[in-house]
Amino acid sequence: MPPAVRLDGITKRFPGVVANDDVDLTVEAGTVHALLGENGAGKTTLMNVLYGLYEPTEGTVSLDGEAREFDSPRDAIDAGVGMIHQHFMLVDPMTVAENITLGNEPRKWGGLAVDRERAREEVTDLSGRYGFDVDPDARIEDVSVGVQQRVEILKALYRGADVLILDEPTAVLTPQEVEELFTVLEELTAQGKTIIFITHKLGEALEAADEVTVLRNGKNVGSLPTAETDREELATLMVGREVLMQFDKSPASPGETVLSVRDVGVEDERGVDVVRDVSFDVREGEVFGIAGVDGNGQSELVEAVTGLREQTEGSVSFEGQQIDDWSRRRRIREGMAYIPEDRQERGLVMEFDLVENAILGSQHREPFAEGGRIDWKRSRQHAEDVIERYDVRPPNADAEAHSFSGGNQQKFIVGREFERDPSLVVATHPTRGVDIGSTEFIHERLLDLRDDGRGVLLVSSKLDEVQGLSDRLGVMYEGELMDVVDPETVTEEELGLLMAGEYPDSYERAALAADASADDATNTNVAGERS
Amino acid sequence: MNLRDSAERLVRASAFERFLISAAALLLSIAVGFVLILAAGRMTTCGTAATSFLGVGFCYDPITVYDRLFLGAFGNVFADPLNGQFATTLSETTVLMFTGVAVAVAFRAGIFNIGTQGQLVVGALATAVSVLAASTLVSGLLGTVLLVPFGLLVGALFGAAYGAIPGLLKAYADANEVITTIMLNFVATSVALYLVQDHFADPESAATQTVPLPDYAVFPSTVFRPRDDFSLLAFLFAAAVLVGIYVFLERTSFGYDLRTSGIQPEAAEYGGVDAPRTVVTSMALSGALGGLGGAVYVLMILGNFQTGIPSYGFDGITVSILAGNNPLGVGFAALLFGVLKSGSIVVDVGTDVPPQLVGVLRGLIILFVAMPEFFRMIGRRVWTFEDDPSSRPVADGGSGGETDE
Repeated sequence: MPPAVRLDGITKRFPGVVANDDVDLTVEAGTVHALLGENGAGKTTLMNVLYGLYEPTEGTVSLDGEAREFDSPRDAIDAGVGMIHQHFMLVDPMTVAENITLGNEPRKWGGLAVDRERAREEVTDLSGRYGFDVDPDARIEDVSVGVQQRVEILKALYRGADVLILDEPTAVLTPQEVEELFTVLEELTAQGKTIIFITHKLGEALEAADEVTVLRNGKNVGSLPTAETDREELATLMVGREVLMQFDKSPASPGETVLSVRDVGVEDERGVDVVRDVSFDVREGEVFGIAGVDGNGQSELVEAVTGLREQTEGSVSFEGQQIDDWSRRRRIREGMAYIPEDRQERGLVMEFDLVENAILGSQHREPFAEGGRIDWKRSRQHAEDVIERYDVRPPNADAEAHSFSGGNQQKFIVGREFERDPSLVVATHPTRGVDIGSTEFIHERLLDLRDDGRGVLLVSSKLDEVQGLSDRLGVMYEGELMDVVDPETVTEEELGLLMAGEYPDSYERAALAADASADDATNTNVAGERS
Repeated sequence: MNLRDSAERLVRASAFERFLISAAALLLSIAVGFVLILAAGRMTTCGTAATSFLGVGFCYDPITVYDRLFLGAFGNVFADPLNGQFATTLSETTVLMFTGVAVAVAFRAGIFNIGTQGQLVVGALATAVSVLAASTLVSGLLGTVLLVPFGLLVGALFGAAYGAIPGLLKAYADANEVITTIMLNFVATSVALYLVQDHFADPESAATQTVPLPDYAVFPSTVFRPRDDFSLLAFLFAAAVLVGIYVFLERTSFGYDLRTSGIQPEAAEYGGVDAPRTVVTSMALSGALGGLGGAVYVLMILGNFQTGIPSYGFDGITVSILAGNNPLGVGFAALLFGVLKSGSIVVDVGTDVPPQLVGVLRGLIILFVAMPEFFRMIGRRVWTFEDDPSSRPVADGGSGGETDE
């Protein structure tokens, strides 16, 4: 049997860049194939070639042994290739069934009207066949991201896809949803579908795929069956050197309290309590981590601390001063750096070049502004410094932010925020979507800041990151701080239970929430009530 | 090449490419208008055909029409650069420069200010009434030196206050500015009508207008002939304002706040921009510029306040879109509008073509030229928030960035 997909010597050149360099890729029918590589390795470009979005500069695409040429995704779809993008293309107010059949709706009355009944039935049949648990009448805006992704997959299947390409499918999912997705993938391949998924996560590639192809700098550096490889080998292939997953950390020597959060409660836009009664301190020279499954109030808590959201209860102090009525601008001015969760919406103005982005947050402050006028020479200098020190590629300060890959955008934000000379760094998912090399670099810089006597508040859903970097580790569940533990001694099991909102048997809460020496009455009470 | 790619290319077109696109659009609109004029000419009856193609006679000659429309606006500019027609063109241009930049400032802040017309009316009336009152105190050259800047200041202040209202409503009461500004246009026009009729009317005139301002209280015509209602001084002032607004947007901290709020409000908030305050300030600034337009209209063209002010404010919206909301581009877009307005008069007087058809031709030109810019604007909005993989260039070791603009 010929392979389901065969790419032969694909080269794709953009002005000044070779995105794919003579890449061969063979995917057997009925298998899951992982396309692994760092940010900017050319994974998405290669798949866009297969999906007809790009025409390859050289090379051929064949499906089931037959050579094909696609002028547009429409051709690819007709040939049975479906692609699920990282950002879903669904119409929020429409139902699941409407979205799946959109553009190919079953018709009635001689093609004049959409046959909604049949659309519903067909969608129900389709999702039943693959064991998807999807309600055809639910509106997209009411269902979770995981379900939306399944709707995208169903949409591709409805259009007759035999080969499904998933671009970073796990980036937006919770750990449970990732597991469900992998089950779905198994079911799909069992029924003869072929899956290619793009990822930069080693673990996922090993867990879900039958075979892995690693891309580095646009080249295929190896295609291996997952049974015959391991994390180390793949990591080495990806970055071209040994990756150290170890954190080289000196013991912390904490000083004064920089940030003090007391009984803080936050409501979301709908008026629902998303953070309840949270108290903790961050001291100079330490990393205070917050672990937890995404969406348990971490984002809202951080926004309250950084001044982007008003807290409904409690108070926050910064360097001994109560800052509840401080504007966001004042908080920046007084030395609070913030690496936001959403870099493309908050952290960078996508249409601005890096020179303009370099002063975001400092646009009213010396040395970048004086008497209301911006000194563009200085901000250019600053942008170029950040680019050089934080290895932002390509090193072009005049390029607009949207033209950089996610990892490089993140490096620029991290650089800009670290160079503020902050007394507190609030970092939310600082390495999300960032390749291994940059991740390591960002971790090192965070620890440098700590050793330099700055306070660091780190929020991350990556357990190894938050556990490895933190000196004290808080765990959040449903808006509450379950406990603050010592990341060195806490067991994986204990952390798992805390993240799921349960206290392990015969568990004694550590009294680490507040600065131990300056024992805070409120915190002792809170801890006392619960244990 | 699919539609998406072309759309993206349009969004990212450089200034030069955009100029070429506009020029092509202009030619296309003329081609369509050409056919329209011929068709209309076939459907009318006339004594002698104005022109004939392939043996068929037509009542209107498209070449004459377009010649008058464009060149008429300049008059005999080489022999007599100060001719009346050219003065009219420039005086229209001057007012449109203010309304165009007023709309542009709001657009750049992400606010659709449809209320420039109302702000202009308020500014115009305030200027006329207060300068009239103050003109009794001083006169002569000293009067001009004091009264004209005073009138401009009053117009700007009243326009700013009237613009701040929808700004406040948007910032603190979440009211959609498109609706409030449209409604406030009606309020401005009606209140102005009432005030002039009942309180400030010229008793010697049948029309609804104020007493004329004394000669020393209006813009001196400078170089051009006084009867042409154009002042080079006012034109230079308008040009200086455009440059000033450009510098303000590109070089100042507050301009940075304003632009950031316009493109990406979340990032602005992250960068410490106080969103409600920026909305109010941007609207006040936009209103001030509209009010200035009204003041200039009164002090340069009318010489008093009359009801039935032409739709400078609404034309300002098109001027701004045409200019890609760039204050310097507003100058050129306003000139195109000025040429068309003044050229229409020449076509009206010099040919048999009915004024309605001239209006259609003008509309066609604006439609064709503004359309790509309009798509560009919409495209930019879509593009900022959507991260389509096909638009994500490869980062490793290449240039990959646009460096135009």
